[in-house]
Amino acid sequence: MVEYRTHMKIIGDILSTTRDDLQDEEGATVTYLIRKANISHSRISRILKTLVSQGLLEQVDTQGSNKYRISQSGREFLQAYYTFTTFADNFGLTI
Amino acid sequence: MEFLLENILNLVGFLVGLAIGIMSLIGFRNTGSPTLFRLTIAFFSISIGFFVIWTGYMLEDFLIKSGNIERWIQTLGIIIQTVGYFFIAFSHSIKSFFPKSRYFRSIGIFPLFLVSSVQIEHIFRSVSFILLAYGAIETTLSYFENKNKGAISVAVGLALLAFGEFLGWYSFVFPESILYSVSLVIKIVGLIALFVPVSKIPLTKIKFDDDFE
Repeated sequence: MVEYRTHMKIIGDILSTTRDDLQDEEGATVTYLIRKANISHSRISRILKTLVSQGLLEQVDTQGSNKYRISQSGREFLQAYYTFTTFADNFGLTI
Repeated sequence: MEFLLENILNLVGFLVGLAIGIMSLIGFRNTGSPTLFRLTIAFFSISIGFFVIWTGYMLEDFLIKSGNIERWIQTLGIIIQTVGYFFIAFSHSIKSFFPKSRYFRSIGIFPLFLVSSVQIEHIFRSVSFILLAYGAIETTLSYFENKNKGAISVAVGLALLAFGEFLGWYSFVFPESILYSVSLVIKIVGLIALFVPVSKIPLTKIKFDDDFE
């Protein structure tokens, strides 16, 4: 059965990939994030732009390509996200 | 104190609703999740509803002393609580609950103008029962999906609140029986069951928004 993911869960997946599952220290490429977070290019571009503008991700320019890594605010957001996912799970809900 | 059980129930309801509401608000402010926003409205409404009724009983106990709580205060508190139960059920996507036809929507509110405040109270009690039963069933189903033990406690809590609401309504048939007291005790246990999993959430590790602390 296909699992429906909320916008919040997709953001959680992207942030956790950039925190726990990086290709190298410089960050993750868009292609890598697309594969790991299982999301289309157009959609992830919009989300990455928002996450960078909100300060949750840092954009690193390396050898002509953009890479993304999690910021300190992003780590704190991810921690809150996991905590309140458990909270919402108790009510049978998804945040 | 004449209304001891009622006072305990409404105070516990106020505190539990407030605690879960604050927790939901912190979650909403830290994540921006619409689900947590709906839970915030739900539990603050439930908390305010219990507080209104508790205030009514306290006024009756210490000031008015007529032997019975003002009917309109009780009705107002129950209506506010029902709004809270609605938002819990709404979070479970209760979209089919609304009448789709424009005709039904137009007459849906009309009967409220034809009934007395006692009947309004009964209507809202029965709506609360339906919403709570729906919430309990959906939460139980979610337990079967992700096996989260906290969901069982919340489902039991909602089910007990629903059962307590039903017994409270049924006690009007047997006014002098023990049914009403039993319904109050069941609702208190339900509220505690609702709070148990929430109390285990480790909030201390989270760095809150600067203006929230």
